[in-house]
Amino acid sequence: MATTDLRPAARAGRSGGAARPVPAVTTARRRVRPARVAVNLVLLVISLLFVLPLVWMVFASVSSTASFELNLPSPPTLDNFHAILNTETTFRPLLNGLLLCGGATLLCVVVSILAAYPLSRYRSRLRRPFLYTVLFSTGLPITAVMIPVYSMFVQVELIDSMAATTLFLAASALPIGIWLMKNFMDGVPIVLEEAARIDGANAMQSLARVVLPLMWPGVTVVTVFTFISMWGNFFVPFVLLLSPEKLPASVSVFTFLSAHDQTQYGQLAAFSLVYTLPVVMLYLLLTRKLGGGFALGGALKG
Amino acid sequence: MRKKLLAALAITVATTLSAAGCGGSGAAGGGNSIKVVYWQHLDQNDKKQQKFLTTMKTSFEKAHPGKKIEIVPVTASENDYYTKIQLMMRSPSTAPDLVYEDTALINSDIASGYLKPLDPYVADWADWGKFAKAAKSAVSSPADGKTYAVPDDTDTRGIWYNRKLLEKAGIKTPWQPRTWDDILDAALTVKKKLPGVTPMNLYTGQAGGEQSVMQGFEMLLYGTGGAGDSLYNAKTKKWITGSQGFKDALEFVHTVYGENLGLPKSAALGANAGTEVGTKLMPENKIAFNIDGSWMANNWLETGPHPWPEWSDTMASAAMPTQNGQAPGKVSMSGGWAWSIPAKAKNPDLAWQFMKTLKNRANSTAWNIIESTTAVRTDVAADPKYLEATPTNKFFTSLVKYTHFRPALPKYPQVSNAITKAMESVTTGQSSVDDAAKTYDQDLATAVGSDSTAKGN
Amino acid sequence: MESAAASAAAPVRPSGGRAGQSLLRGLPLLPSLLLLAVFLAGPILYCVYDAFTDAQLTGAAETHFVGLDNFTRAFGDPDFLNALWLTLVFVVGSAVVGQNTLGLSLAVMAEKATRPVRSLVNGVVIAAWVLPEVVAGYLMYAFFYQQGSLNDVLGMLGLPRQNWLYTLPILAVCLANVWRGTAFSMMVYSAALNEVPRELVEAAEMDGAGVWHRLWHVTLPVIRRSIMTNLMLITLQTLSVFGLIYAMTRGGPGNKSQTLPVFMYQQAFQNSLIGYGTAIALVLLVVGALFSVVYLKLLKVEED
Repeated sequence: MATTDLRPAARAGRSGGAARPVPAVTTARRRVRPARVAVNLVLLVISLLFVLPLVWMVFASVSSTASFELNLPSPPTLDNFHAILNTETTFRPLLNGLLLCGGATLLCVVVSILAAYPLSRYRSRLRRPFLYTVLFSTGLPITAVMIPVYSMFVQVELIDSMAATTLFLAASALPIGIWLMKNFMDGVPIVLEEAARIDGANAMQSLARVVLPLMWPGVTVVTVFTFISMWGNFFVPFVLLLSPEKLPASVSVFTFLSAHDQTQYGQLAAFSLVYTLPVVMLYLLLTRKLGGGFALGGALKG
Repeated sequence: MRKKLLAALAITVATTLSAAGCGGSGAAGGGNSIKVVYWQHLDQNDKKQQKFLTTMKTSFEKAHPGKKIEIVPVTASENDYYTKIQLMMRSPSTAPDLVYEDTALINSDIASGYLKPLDPYVADWADWGKFAKAAKSAVSSPADGKTYAVPDDTDTRGIWYNRKLLEKAGIKTPWQPRTWDDILDAALTVKKKLPGVTPMNLYTGQAGGEQSVMQGFEMLLYGTGGAGDSLYNAKTKKWITGSQGFKDALEFVHTVYGENLGLPKSAALGANAGTEVGTKLMPENKIAFNIDGSWMANNWLETGPHPWPEWSDTMASAAMPTQNGQAPGKVSMSGGWAWSIPAKAKNPDLAWQFMKTLKNRANSTAWNIIESTTAVRTDVAADPKYLEATPTNKFFTSLVKYTHFRPALPKYPQVSNAITKAMESVTTGQSSVDDAAKTYDQDLATAVGSDSTAKGN
Repeated sequence: MESAAASAAAPVRPSGGRAGQSLLRGLPLLPSLLLLAVFLAGPILYCVYDAFTDAQLTGAAETHFVGLDNFTRAFGDPDFLNALWLTLVFVVGSAVVGQNTLGLSLAVMAEKATRPVRSLVNGVVIAAWVLPEVVAGYLMYAFFYQQGSLNDVLGMLGLPRQNWLYTLPILAVCLANVWRGTAFSMMVYSAALNEVPRELVEAAEMDGAGVWHRLWHVTLPVIRRSIMTNLMLITLQTLSVFGLIYAMTRGGPGNKSQTLPVFMYQQAFQNSLIGYGTAIALVLLVVGALFSVVYLKLLKVEED
């Protein structure tokens, strides 16, 4: 029922997307200019509020005497970056992180696309229970399962293996991945596939040739979302990897934190900037291809 | 049932993964190599311990051809470090051969069967006689009397005071309070005479964790009538409830924060009180005195997080007095770290060889100087080279004879947690001293079991 | 027209009937089933078992089966009940009300704003989202603590400085989570609004319906499914937020910002009570499921 409400809407929105904004803008300009100015103002204030916390990070990263107070660095210095930009603290952990999280993201995305297809296309009595089990299991804090996971990894001698850690990361992101992906796939009308089927394509071929290109924005959402959550995950790689030279950046950030409370704020801030960079780049890369944040969001409907 | 399930899973995983060609790395096997695991934390951001251990490794490998030492730093918060080494020690394939632990945790790990008794080794080691008795007792199990570690360093606690500020407030220096009241009087004087200066710091609250308990509460509690038995009576093996000493110590905390003699409550209870005090308020001459550990000067060394060359002219130290000045007049608390050999270590003999090198006189002296920690070997403690290395070494080493170690029992972390809760509730004024003490008694009973508690005086 | 479109777009086809065929159709599910079974189902079952034992990581050599002890202990423990309550406050305050409403408002307003403003607001909101959790936690600490940037701003505006992390820590962590998570809701709603049929809104406009009326009676019913998806996902994510709170307050002062994940971490890893900690994790799982059921009922969305 709900679906029937949404589908025509979805199609109307898509097909009319290019033409629609123009008349909307002109009528708005003529009629409700004060309202628009107010909206712009409110949004600017909100943007300011959102950007404020980031200011500290930027200032502290170029300050020689950083604390948690917001101070203009005088004079600005690159010492903090010099201190952290070395193989051991930054480069190797970043590379490890890219291998672990990149590999796991790729795996998670591919596997959840495969899983989403039958879940979206075929009816089965098992489908609903499966989907809800998968959904609810996302509510379990991953820290809680790490001790059994460690024991399991030790028993089969997978501990300290980056490949196995990658597999585990992928598995832990799968529930949300499958769920989101299935929702996106529901948005691709099945009629389009039928044409391909008539031409003799099998399910996998029509998935690859018809469905995937249409739900590409959804795929990118899952990609970014999965990558972000893994990139910040400390506990999983910390527990499953033993050799320091295999640990990712989410672990090495602790070089700057805690312990007799002697946090090195400047270096922490500098590291945080460098550490955030790959995620921002991934985001920009994927959205640039899709024409801005809205296209990315465009896939995220129910 | 559980085993079967696990085994089934294990087989699935193993086949899946070996097919994919990514079997586990396995541990460094063989009788010729050992793995040494330690906590790399921030106050070694200049990697003091790593550098030191690396020189030890190099010289050991040179002296013992064919042997290999692998140094494995673990970067994490202290809690997560323990989680990791405990997990590692659970299985022979991941257990290190030498592991670095806080003495407070050792008994807990002994109870879990993670550590190997070292008695056969120390019996043949002449140097063992040089280790201070108190330090030795901190690494032996009260249950079986065996030794499970070799102490690495220790620390003591006292009062760091700002000489200039006290003088400005009209308090004569060198200052040595005789009773708790002397401390409160001095703080009141500073508060009156020097507006804008925080009179004193006493760590408190849950965010501070063990810092609140050891530097804050236990420095008080062990100075009350019950002295060394105030928290736990080692003879009767009972945890103490409802003692007057406990309430008095809470009352002191309550007074400090109720009369605004300490940091603003929000800062004192915040997650970063230690940083605030050590790297800001003290070097900026904004705090008159602080009950804290012997390592404080590490903050202000050239390599520390807040270099403060003038510190040795400005800061001085005094011992913490007992409540009413009763004998022995002074009190201190000690912790410290130690090296253990896990029960499942693959190569304990070689680990012991390395341990003997690591903790011989020359290397112990070098390490205590590098880290400015308090010596655990009596011969090092008397060595002028060590005593003169840092201006405060002599003073804090002298406190060793007044010092107490915590009841390093498996339940201690939970007891400690209950103490921080009681401290926090009297600091905020949320509950009265009596109520907080009562809540503590209940929490204690939950944590250790009510048959392991006894009413104190 | 509508019904025709509906049947054409219906995503589900009746299955062919033969067992072999449906097995074949389910084949693409295999890799994920395998990964989930091996890496998650096993450990989760193990956890369920642990929750009924007195397992400890350190301090005891043996583990005993203790039945429901961990659960009875939890529900008799005022700290647990406090954590449960704060978790509800945190989820409702920061996700259901905060992220959800702010995300929707931003999406609605962005539609009406000029392009540069829209890009700006998108950019900064999403910037907060892509920060790794621990970094976000430290930034939020720097923002809210007493000498922090927020109070500097309040000071500049002539408003009284607040002691955020001390007086109302749960509010501070809620706001922090709103800051960090709003981007997700904003994206969901931007997408959904984009697809509300223009004709519907215009028709309502001609009928003289006001802005609020249009939003409430036209737009929201249409995007009901998106609302549910969004609420479910942000609730489940917010329920397990740990790093952000831990970095900001450690759950304090006292236990005033100690939500269930923080409480669980402290019991399991600080006090080494793995059994008890795991039992708490299972309670958290149930809370998440309850929220989801409520959403499904309230929004009357069928999963199909």
